[in-house]
Amino acid sequence: MLGGGGRSSSSSTTAAAAGGTWVSTTSVSASRKRIQREMSELNADPPPHCSAAPKGDNLFHWIATIIGPPGTPYQGGIFFLDITFPSDYPYKPPNVVFKTRIYHCNVDAAGNLSLEILKDSWSPALTITKVLTAIRAIFTNPDPYTPVISGVARLYLADKAKHDEIAAEWMLRFAK
Amino acid sequence: MVREEPKRSPEVYRQPNSAENSENVDDLFSPRFKSVAAMAGWDEEALIIASLVVEDTPDRQQSKRKKRSVLISSTPPCSTSRRKRRAQRRSHASTPIAPLNLDEEEQQISKQGDEEEIVVEDEKKTKVNEPAPLHCMDKLREELSCAICLDICFEPSTTPCGHSFCKKCLRSAADKCGKRCPKCRQLISNGRSCTVNTVLWNTIQLLFPKEVEARKAAAGAECQSPESGTRSGTRRTRTRTRIQDPALAARLQREDLARLVNTRRGGPARQQRDNDLSRLVSTTRRRRETPGQDGDAALALRMQREEFMEAFRGSSGQNISLARANLRAMASRAINRGRT
Repeated sequence: MLGGGGRSSSSSTTAAAAGGTWVSTTSVSASRKRIQREMSELNADPPPHCSAAPKGDNLFHWIATIIGPPGTPYQGGIFFLDITFPSDYPYKPPNVVFKTRIYHCNVDAAGNLSLEILKDSWSPALTITKVLTAIRAIFTNPDPYTPVISGVARLYLADKAKHDEIAAEWMLRFAK
Repeated sequence: MVREEPKRSPEVYRQPNSAENSENVDDLFSPRFKSVAAMAGWDEEALIIASLVVEDTPDRQQSKRKKRSVLISSTPPCSTSRRKRRAQRRSHASTPIAPLNLDEEEQQISKQGDEEEIVVEDEKKTKVNEPAPLHCMDKLREELSCAICLDICFEPSTTPCGHSFCKKCLRSAADKCGKRCPKCRQLISNGRSCTVNTVLWNTIQLLFPKEVEARKAAAGAECQSPESGTRSGTRRTRTRTRIQDPALAARLQREDLARLVNTRRGGPARQQRDNDLSRLVSTTRRRRETPGQDGDAALALRMQREEFMEAFRGSSGQNISLARANLRAMASRAINRGRT
């Protein structure tokens, strides 16, 4: 009776009353299902120069890699990221943290990103593929106006060549 | 399954008084029941239809409806025909949509297309021109899936900005992420009162019947109690007499019928009917020890229910209670006669 309430117009009052407890259990399985779908989608059609997969058995904890795009000081580097999915996943953004150190104005020393789509601008229609693409985009185009490390941002704006030089040096040291 | 059924069913419906069918009636109903039925004004045709109601699978309904629409258009309207009224009623109610196997059709067509360029319909022509049918299906799947759960949209709801999501997904998104479209971030005026886009939903049900069924099964896993349709049927009938609200009663009955139809979907139809009838008889036989009449009584109950539904749909107000009282009296008469 419980399940029938949700899909048919003839839902009884009991279904509506018990709905509250039921939803919480489905949301976990719903996010599990969604993560599984994303995984199979990633395997079938991986984004360029990116990869992502669950770390061990835990479906809610992933490891991703991004290869530094050509034409940037990060070219050739392999950057590891940790992705943690919240239990109400598509409705709350995943937590993405750089495991590889990077000289970038939008990534702090702990690896936290300042990426709007991972915070207030998150939308449940975004997927890990899109998130990785967005992260790859800030490799090519750093956003110095919303930095987490203001020093790097300032250098980027003032002397891009110097910034790129340091970034390439860091990449060789940490991401090779 | 779809191909075999229509051959038999139109005959039954077109010539209800043919020898074969009168034999059927003799098999199914005892003379006493028939006399009671005659008193109640149920002709044999109606009896057969009532006994067939249980095995009405969607496939069958579809084929019947097609045939019937042809019949209706060719013959002058006849107001007393019960089965026509039933047909009209059924077309109004939301019936489950028969699955359409695009894959199979496409494969057949592509095989044909290689050897001889025979194209029967325009619709098929477009499919032949498609490079790969499976690819086309994948595209459709992608297009019709919900961006939130990444599954085929289940009961899709469309935002004012034109994006569609599962109703449930959209509601959760509006609750947890603010009332903005997940796709384009446009404001959704009323995220709470989302309605199902029926055209889209029907399309999805036609294109991906398996996925929809799986999803429905997952949603209603707890709903399907192990009780048999017959038992629930009699129980429901009993409760119905107590329930005073006619709308609620009608709804229960509709549910009941839907369940009867649903639980029997999937097997060969004729066997289903036989099984159903024998179970109907045997369950009642176990309870009381009068064989033939009990089957009749159960059938009478079902007839009563049917009749009530018709009365309820057709008329309104005081007629309902009158018809209901009338029918209840008839059914009890049938049962009592069976006992003596």
